[in-house]
Amino acid sequence: MNARSLALAAFSGVLVAAGHQLADAKPPPAPPSTAVTDDILDAIAKEMNRDMTGLVVRDADGNPTAPGPYHISYKVTEVEVNDAVASLGQTTARKTRHFVNIECRVRVGLPPDPYKLDNANYIVPGGDGIDGVASRSLPIEATPRIAERAAWQVTDEAYKEALYQLQAKLDARQTTGTTSTLPSWTPEPAIVSEEPVLVPALESLDAIEARAQKLSKGFRNQPALRDSRVAITAYSERRWYLNSEGTSVTDTRRASGLVIAATAQADDGQELAQYFSRYGQTAGDLPSDEELTKEVKRITETLIALQKAPKAEPYSGPVLFEGEGAVGMVRWSLAPHLGGTPLPEGLNPQQAKQFGGALTDRVGLRVASNNVEIVDDPTTSIAAGKALIGGYKIDDEGVAAQRVQVVKAGMLKSLLTSRTPSAKDARSNGHARRTTDGGMFHGSATNLIVSATGGTTHQALVARLLAAAKTEGLKYGIIIRQFDDSAITAAPEYSRRELYAMLQRADTDLPPPATLVYKVYPNGKEELLRGAQLDEIPIRVWKDVIGVGKGALVYNYLAAPESYLANKFGGGTDDGAVPSSGIESAVVTPDLLFKEIDLKPLTSGRRAKPVVSSPISAK
Amino acid sequence: MQNAARVMGLALASTVAVTGCPGGGVVKTGPKLIPDDPPIDQGRDLPTVAAKIVTTTSLPTDGNDPDAASPILGWMAVENERSMKELARQPEPAYYLGYQIVEQRVVELDAEGGALINDSDETARNLDVEVRVGSPALDNTRPLADDDGLNAPRTRHGVVPFGDDPDAIRNHLWLETDRRYREAVQQLTYVRQDQQTLKARKRPPDFSAAEPVIYAEKIAKLEFDKAAWVERLKRCSRRALTGAATRGSCSVTFQLNTVWYVNSEGSQIQQSYTNAQLAVSVGVKTDDGMGLSRLEQRFGATPADLPPDSDVDKMVDTVVADLNDLNDAPLAEPYVGPAILEGRAAGVFFHEVFGHRIEGHRQKDDTSGQTFSSYIGKPIAPEWLSVYDDPTLVTLNGIQLNGFYRYDDEGVKAQHVPLIDKGTLVGFEMGRNPIDGFPTSNGHGRKAPGLPAVARQGNLVVEAARTVERAELEKMLLAEVKKQGRPYGMVFTDISGGFTNTSAFAPQAFKVNPVMAYRIYPDGKRQLVRGIDIGGTPLIALQSIRAASREIETFNGVCGAESGWVPVSASAPSLLIEKLEIEKGYIPPDRGPILNPPNITTGGSAAGGAP
Repeated sequence: MNARSLALAAFSGVLVAAGHQLADAKPPPAPPSTAVTDDILDAIAKEMNRDMTGLVVRDADGNPTAPGPYHISYKVTEVEVNDAVASLGQTTARKTRHFVNIECRVRVGLPPDPYKLDNANYIVPGGDGIDGVASRSLPIEATPRIAERAAWQVTDEAYKEALYQLQAKLDARQTTGTTSTLPSWTPEPAIVSEEPVLVPALESLDAIEARAQKLSKGFRNQPALRDSRVAITAYSERRWYLNSEGTSVTDTRRASGLVIAATAQADDGQELAQYFSRYGQTAGDLPSDEELTKEVKRITETLIALQKAPKAEPYSGPVLFEGEGAVGMVRWSLAPHLGGTPLPEGLNPQQAKQFGGALTDRVGLRVASNNVEIVDDPTTSIAAGKALIGGYKIDDEGVAAQRVQVVKAGMLKSLLTSRTPSAKDARSNGHARRTTDGGMFHGSATNLIVSATGGTTHQALVARLLAAAKTEGLKYGIIIRQFDDSAITAAPEYSRRELYAMLQRADTDLPPPATLVYKVYPNGKEELLRGAQLDEIPIRVWKDVIGVGKGALVYNYLAAPESYLANKFGGGTDDGAVPSSGIESAVVTPDLLFKEIDLKPLTSGRRAKPVVSSPISAK
Repeated sequence: MQNAARVMGLALASTVAVTGCPGGGVVKTGPKLIPDDPPIDQGRDLPTVAAKIVTTTSLPTDGNDPDAASPILGWMAVENERSMKELARQPEPAYYLGYQIVEQRVVELDAEGGALINDSDETARNLDVEVRVGSPALDNTRPLADDDGLNAPRTRHGVVPFGDDPDAIRNHLWLETDRRYREAVQQLTYVRQDQQTLKARKRPPDFSAAEPVIYAEKIAKLEFDKAAWVERLKRCSRRALTGAATRGSCSVTFQLNTVWYVNSEGSQIQQSYTNAQLAVSVGVKTDDGMGLSRLEQRFGATPADLPPDSDVDKMVDTVVADLNDLNDAPLAEPYVGPAILEGRAAGVFFHEVFGHRIEGHRQKDDTSGQTFSSYIGKPIAPEWLSVYDDPTLVTLNGIQLNGFYRYDDEGVKAQHVPLIDKGTLVGFEMGRNPIDGFPTSNGHGRKAPGLPAVARQGNLVVEAARTVERAELEKMLLAEVKKQGRPYGMVFTDISGGFTNTSAFAPQAFKVNPVMAYRIYPDGKRQLVRGIDIGGTPLIALQSIRAASREIETFNGVCGAESGWVPVSASAPSLLIEKLEIEKGYIPPDRGPILNPPNITTGGSAAGGAP
């Protein structure tokens, strides 16, 4: 088609079928981009080819003094966002954004085979921004000469960083005695798929705002509540990926989502928060206003019930995770461990924990109960008739998305990999998504689907929970239906001093607090608890899944690139904004009954009650 | 943990210098008193012709229209009174409660090289609640002796809904009041603890009362033709990307601000105004790696007040020509000798060197250098020189001033404040944080939304009672060059900004960044140079002023300090300084791009025309 396809490809082109479709494409598609046209991509490709052949540091005599790039890639993104937030029927924020960005990644390696040892996946001490990556914004009107110039500038910048990073990596390997027989990076065949992926237009800002206002009215006249909000977003991210292997792919991500959140305080001053969040490909995938109004009511009632609810006590025994509770278990205790990409050299152990790693050496071994199957499938966009947002055509390293059987009959078959090979996984399976310091993509979950044979009814599952509790000598079992999500509930209540103290003593290995926790007694009676925190969840608990439910919940969310605590205390949604950035992700899972989980009372979040009653209760 | 930043920056666009300094014990040493200092050269042989200053003003009370008051003001007052009633009878009673809601619409249009790169139009509302517990003599805002930064109020966007729905607005006022009251009580606990273990120092109170104000002006309207502006900016930026420039951009920012302020003293104030800003900017990286940029800005009260295309073309041609010259200009060497600061450069110089040090609260902060504390009533500059700050000035010599406002962010009437009268230091810019000898505010407590107010500048004006023609000033410069035996003198025509350090932990020095700096040789030859900063200390700098020109120029811009960005202006005549110290500026260790620019003439263009 053009210069892009002429690139320095060592592999024959592979054409990707347009298998990644949207579930509910009823709304009319938005027209193709006018900011990033073929002319723009041709201009960038032209510069890429010039840089691949000519970009090298030379001495005064014109002789090269360092390796030139062996791989250059560009990701051009065009983002459009409409979002609005309302509280008590009135708008508190309303925004529309539209911007275009070009990001360049340059890799330099040691000759003769630069793939063996290159600059990447290494954190330069004291310089984690030096990673061979550079970016800048592009006009929102297609202007090839500016795109070409921008490509020239970002490539130059990324190349200089890559050289520095390579030198630092070589030095560090020498001083620490680190050796590795693994190559730094794997070659991949070129992929060409240049037809625009058209997605439904964004819902209008006015429509989003009106809906947020309408739903948020449901929290009016509730003296028990402190704060409440309804936030709705719609966004699209058009992507164009070009690399020097000849890959030229375009794809579009499209999501709409909403968050309903409210807070209250227990009689003893403990902070209480409840939320409801759903994301889909368009607003058509979200629940109806009628259903959402019910959620507003449920949140209010739950907060009122929590004000009087007893506090959680230490508990060690069987726990049934239902619905979003099961999703939370998958999201917090399993998904982080599925990446098969070696962590960057130089990452400190504390940060490394964010990337799990508990399964790194377990491929081929039992990691879950016999009946458990786990699949990660970015190629699908529907599960159980519901839209999934975690899919894509190619990943962030230009590799075609692939369905990966992660666990089969309880045995770990494969981890999710990127082009940075590990000892077990020599090739990428198209899961490069989450960035790490040092400029690498980590193999990460996309649409993560957990299933199991032997699913039972809810009633049978509760009976099994109670039986297991009795065996342990416990008078009750525990059901967890939701975890906190720091992308949704932030910490505006705390003073600077309190936040600092909380950060100091926070245990970063814990999952988020559970927000919906129930005791269930042998007679089947449920009792709502407040202030419950799961202890660290070792990966081995997955070997003791002693029951699963029938059916599955499909849950979409935006995974924050930061840790739960960093997000919670670092601002998060302090200004009440709706989350519209993060890594599009989905979890599909049945209810899960685990044999032994440790629960403890939540120690933070107690504050004095207001001395002035709310204006609503004062009426 | 670092101490709060105490380095102020003035910038045309985005330059702000911020540093921190280690906490710990502070030994306060008073400045050397004047009688020991050598006498200031009074320049009594200069002609007694004053610099021409014609101003227009609008008094704080002008435009009051009680019918224009939004119901929001009423709901704020109701909630303020209801909360105060309860909070005032708590074991730790609140003695002051202030509410400020700022609704700000910001329209930004940016074009670069002929293409639109940013098109945004956003409106936000922010709520700030100020609760004071304790008493004006000692309250929760008293800095701790070993300030770890944790006792400061948390910087957080205060959510408040749009519209004037009473339930929604009152609930959010209540919520934020509750949060800030609890925070204030916690702060006061630490303040008390601190005071118990400190050796008593005599200290002025933490807060001063102010007269209640009732004022409402009509809600302003922001009107502009967007499509026409986009075309103008594209055309402008295409014209700017030429010659040496690798970046040429033109942008406008239009704002509509409406501010509602209510406090427990009974003030209810509604202010509403628009402002408009046009920026023309070009940049390039020199062969030795120095980033050069040249920016011209114009401000107006409305978009219609911005200059027409013919004037914008001239602005573009000026920045382009200057950038080309700068790109070819040699690097300058450190130098001490006579210099002329031309009008706008003199304005920025005064803003940095004098203005920031005359902000009242800095005179009581133990970690501040308190440069001028002991100089009240004493000469610090030639007797023909006077300086004042007056936010009620609308125009000066026909130029709209960016630092105009009616009421400050603490509900106090904007006031004309004499600072230097005939060479003698007479006053400070005051917010509601009293200092010795200045127990009340003079209407200069200012802030950006989300931050606590401190004393800030508005429209700073430097007056000269004895002046010479501009050409004469240059002759005087060359005479000084000869007298001092220097090879050349310096002329600065544009200063991009700078910073001044007022922290006691570091030298009481300033540094300003000239963009256009010329050497003037005895034969009259001018040579543009680059890569230098002007440094020095404020007392010596003020005493080194030898003459002023008849013409006054105005610098409009925004100024950043601990209470955020606020619009300001500084007007001054051109000044001859007997001795100014020129330092070598920092040139980052970079190199130009390895490859030449791509062949852009073949790239095709929606906008047409290659740079």
